[in-house]
Parts: sequence; structure tokens; C-alpha cells
Amino acid sequence: MKILVTGAGGFLGVHVVERLLAHGYTDIRCLLRDPEKAVRLTKLSESYPEAELEFCYGNLRSKADCARAMTDVSLVFHLAAGLKGSAAEMFADSAVASRNLLETLETREASVVCQTRFVLVSSFGVYGVAALRRGARVDEQTPLETHPELRDIYSHSKLRQEQLFWEHQQKDGFELVVLRPGVIYGPGGGAFSGRVGLQVGPLFFHLGGSNLLPLSFVVNCAEAIVFAGTHSDSAGQAYNVHDDELMTASRYLREYKRRVQPVRSVRLPYFVTKMLARSLETYHHRSQGQLPAIITRYKAASIWGGNRFDNSKLRALGWRQLVSTPDAMAANFAYLRQKERPQ
Amino acid sequence: MSLKIAIVGCGKIADAHVEEIRKIPSVQLAAVCDLDPIMAEQLASRLAVPRWYSDAGKMLDAEKPDVLHITTPPQSHLALTRQAVAAGCHVYLEKPVAPRHCDAEAIIAAAVASGRKLAVNYWPNFDAPAIELRRLLDTGVLGRPVHLESFLGYDLAGEYGTALKRDPQHWVHRLPGKLFQNVLDHVLNKIVPYLDEDKLLIQAMAYRGDAAGPDTNPDRLLNELRVMVRGSHTSAYATFSSHARPVGHSLRVYGTKNTAHVDFNARTVVLERKQTFPSALGRLFPPFLTAKDYLRQGLTNVNSFSHSRFHYFDGMRRLLNEFYLSIERDSPPPIAYSEILRVSAMMETIFQQVYPEVLV
Repeated sequence: MKILVTGAGGFLGVHVVERLLAHGYTDIRCLLRDPEKAVRLTKLSESYPEAELEFCYGNLRSKADCARAMTDVSLVFHLAAGLKGSAAEMFADSAVASRNLLETLETREASVVCQTRFVLVSSFGVYGVAALRRGARVDEQTPLETHPELRDIYSHSKLRQEQLFWEHQQKDGFELVVLRPGVIYGPGGGAFSGRVGLQVGPLFFHLGGSNLLPLSFVVNCAEAIVFAGTHSDSAGQAYNVHDDELMTASRYLREYKRRVQPVRSVRLPYFVTKMLARSLETYHHRSQGQLPAIITRYKAASIWGGNRFDNSKLRALGWRQLVSTPDAMAANFAYLRQKERPQ
Repeated sequence: MSLKIAIVGCGKIADAHVEEIRKIPSVQLAAVCDLDPIMAEQLASRLAVPRWYSDAGKMLDAEKPDVLHITTPPQSHLALTRQAVAAGCHVYLEKPVAPRHCDAEAIIAAAVASGRKLAVNYWPNFDAPAIELRRLLDTGVLGRPVHLESFLGYDLAGEYGTALKRDPQHWVHRLPGKLFQNVLDHVLNKIVPYLDEDKLLIQAMAYRGDAAGPDTNPDRLLNELRVMVRGSHTSAYATFSSHARPVGHSLRVYGTKNTAHVDFNARTVVLERKQTFPSALGRLFPPFLTAKDYLRQGLTNVNSFSHSRFHYFDGMRRLLNEFYLSIERDSPPPIAYSEILRVSAMMETIFQQVYPEVLV
């Protein structure tokens, strides 16, 4: 069985390839935009002598590249997504890229399509949580976002991406497994999720307070993707992905300050954040967008509204956290410390 | 009269067009269109545009817009302009006008033949600093321009540069002038009005800066460009740099009386004046006069900010306003067609020199 991993050179992609190898899958095609990303994967595969990593260079915005990448593939781990750039760029890298990938199925026999499985790495950002009460639990039954345009560009593009997959799954009949990770963290990643707060100039505005963070250590997340993605009972299902032991935003920030470096931070209670959001929105409208509304009431409710999270469906499938939260945090902060204060 | 506007091309610059169109109360944005339906859908859903299409012809038939904004890659500009003017639309065209100068000529000819108006998005020339520079020239403060230096910086690691570097099939790579062609309008359109001869001596050189780093493009993406232009009375340097920091956007006009330095990023216009005091005193005062200019400009900018007139694309809003007014009043469009064509001709000459294998 040939496996395709899109975004294989990315922060999460490398770990997904590693977990696939660890689970005994050997015939893996890694789709990369940047040939330099192959170096780390090649080094990784040296620990698995039986592995046959194939590097396919291309861009999913190109239908020809998609067709080339999908040749002879029966299992696809689709991780590639737009993470930065303009709204149109991000949308193209997530939704257009996914549509192009899905349209390659049109050239396949129906019987082959039915035996093709897509594992889509979606996001917590697709849930419509703005209207949920404080403390509400977000599980797979939580409705999807109905106003992505009010949220943020990333959520907007990820939601459309996931919708495209479900639409095509209904039409074409392939197997689909959707993983919705929370905040993926670990060596190679960033220091702070927006759920903790926002850096504005020299000050860090700590907006997350005592909210729980849906943290997913990158290795645990990759394991969840591979485990659920290859499980016989997971077809047609969506799974939340986060670690079992979650910490609050304030504890994460405190630990960062203690173990990485000092941060000049100001903590804003949620009601102050909402008032600030209202002011920024009002100014944004009155000034016709002279300053961006970096915080709106809708965004504030979606990100800092204080939800709880549920990974019981993934656990019921049999997934177990590979790296404990204390060990994961230690690795994360050691990496960040090295990055911020190299010896 | 309320003009009905439509946009074809839903890439990243289309967002700016939507936002600036909406700042003009006398017009209404009716629809957007992109060959890729989900790109049209995303723009319409994100920015609450009433309708979207994936076929420009269908949109023109159904919406019957007065003005079509064309924000597609330049390779499609000629065909879309012809389609738009045939449907009775005026055209607002994103730069660069077209891949080749002959296409630019055909675009202008199509607009002229149909009696429709056309403008190209040369928005920095309608921003507050450019207006102030024109005032200094018109009132004779600078005297006659002797020499101009137009500079534009570019961040290859930024939003636009990254998109280019990671996509070998990006339409910019298929332009004869590649990266330069996507940005050079904004360098040359500032100097062209002062070089009114048909025959100009143009000498260009380009190279690939060391710090560019590896990219996956199959072609050689040159990213540093120097151009020397000589007319009969005025000369100019045009510089495009992907490595100089900060990423600048400026114009220096050396006049027979005084010199002006225009910073389009900081939105300042500062005069370097002829010394009027003798000897050492003449060297003592200029820094204070310059400081006074900066203070005055800073306060002007604060005033603009407080009146919500300090947007990045404020020049585009002003240009759009003038273009729409020219349609309503049937007056000449804000940018002379001859100027658009001279920019295009100058670009082609430059690309023939720096990419001779592409343009012969």
C-alpha cells in the first residue's frame, strides 16, 4: 500500500512520517514544496532500513502535480494547508489545494475510489464555539462554524477545506477520516498560541487567563493521526485531537517565563478583552479599516470564551498519549530556550 | 448616478479593491468573478459581496456593470479588457498592464475604439506625498527637474515574495520581465511624467542578490535591478532592490531650485533647500529646516490619521474616486494613456536588456 503524505516536510508532517514508519508502513511518498525539507526526512528514514521514502516535489495548487503525487496511492494523509500569507493565498493553499487533490479521483475507477482513504488534518478552528456558554465542552458533536468570515482567515480556509472533503466523500464514496487537532506544540513550533495571548510591540497581552488550552504535543498528535487514520473503524468519523492532561493558559505562560525567558505581560480579564474588542471593532468600522480589528467580540468569544475540550472519542478508538505532558513540556521549553537564548 | 462595479480575479490584490471601492459612497460593488469558482466564493463570503461568478462573460451579461476591475494575472488583461469594453464597461486595470508592450497598446486601443475609459492602478501617484510633490513642482518651488531617483524595495521573505518563491508555476515567473515586471510600474510611473521625449537612452542591469537564498524556481529569478535613463533635459535612476533594508519606497527629485525627497512609506516630503546664509551659517541651519519639515509632515500625518485618511491604499481610493468621476462627468481619465504606454514601452526596453533570451 502506497501512502501519500502532503505537507510531509512541515512541523507536523515530519512526525507523521516518523509515526508511519514506526507503525511499520514503509512505502511512503512525501509531497514537498521545498527540496531542502527532504534532508530531515532522509535522516529520519535511516533509522528504518526497510523504509522506502519517495520524495515528490510539487505544489498542490497545480492539478498536474496533484495527479503525479496521487499516482498508485491508496491512503492519503493530507496535512498541507495555508498557514500564512494573504487571505487568498491561505485559502488557495488549503481549499483549492484540497479540491485539486480530490479531483484526481475523477480519473480512477469507482471500485478503486472506494478503496482509497483520505485522512484529513483539520482543526479545532472549524467549530462554531462563539455562542457556547463559558465552560461548555467542545466535542465532535459541536456544530461547525457558521460564520467563518467573522472568525479568522485560517479558520475560514480550514472549514471550507473540511466541507470540501465531506462533499466529495458523499459524491465519490471514498473513505474519509478527519482529525481536528487543537494547539499543536513542541520542538520546531512556536512559543505561544493565540489562545494564550497576543504580542503587541514589547508587551504580551495575556488574554487566555485560566482557560484550558487544547494542547497536543506534536508527537502525540502525529500518533493520533496515524492511529486513527489507519484504524479500520474510523472511516466516516471525525476526532478531536488533544492530550489528556491539559494546562491553563496562565500556567503555560508562567512556565514559559520560568523555563525559557522573562516576558513583559499584561493579563486582561475576559470582560476587559470583550470591551477592548468592542472598541477596536467600532474604531475599525468608523475609520474604514485604518487599523485592523485584531480582536473582535466574535473572535474573543471563539478563542478566549473558556471552553473545555473532549478527546474521549479518540481515546475510545484506542489512542493513547505517547509522551506524557510533563515530558512534552520539558522538550518544548528546552527547544524554545535554545531558540531564544542559544548557548 | 451610482456606478455598478464588478471585479474579475479574486487573488490577494482583489481584497484591496473591494475595500477601497467600498469607501466611495457613490458606487456599489455588485459581484466578483474568478475562473476558479471556490476562489470567487471565498472572496464573496469573506467580504460579503452579493454575488459571485466563475465566468466573466456570464457576470457581464447578468450584472451589466458600469466598471470592471480586472485583477487577474496580466496574461489575461487584453482578452478581458476587450470583453469588458464590448459589454460597455469602463475598465480599471491592475498593474502590470500586459506582458508585452504590443498588448498594452492593444488594450488602450480597445478602450479608445469603444469610447470606454480605462485606468491602471498606479495608486502611489495619487497618495498624499505624490500630491504634495506635484504641488511643489507646479508652484515652481523645485524649479525644473534635472534628475530623479526612484527607489522601490521588496521583501522576498514577505507575503508576496514567499508566494513567488514557493510556486514555480506562479504567473509572475511566466512574465517576460518576471519579478521586475510585477513591480516596476510603481518605479517608472513616477519618473515618466518628467521624461517626455519619445527617444530615451535606457541602460539597465540586473543580477541575483546573494542573500536571496535558494528557491525552487526553474528560471533564474533576478532580484536586483538598476536602470539609468537619459532624456534631453532630465535624467533618472530607477532602482529595485530585494535586499536593501528598510524596504523603501521613495522618490528624489533634483530641481534647478531645490531638491525634494518623497518617502511613500513614511508619507513625508522634505525639501533640501539652496543655502541662503553665508559661509558656516549656511551649513548650520539646514538640519533645523529639515527637522521642521519632518515635524510638519508628522503633524500632517497625525491629522490624516485622526480623520481616518491614513490607510495604506489611500492613494487607490483617491485614484478610484477620480476615475469614477471622470466616467460620470465624461472628462479625461486621471492617468493619460500616453503615460501608461510610455511606462510599458520603457519596461519592455529594460526587460530586453536584462532577460535578452526571453525578449528578443
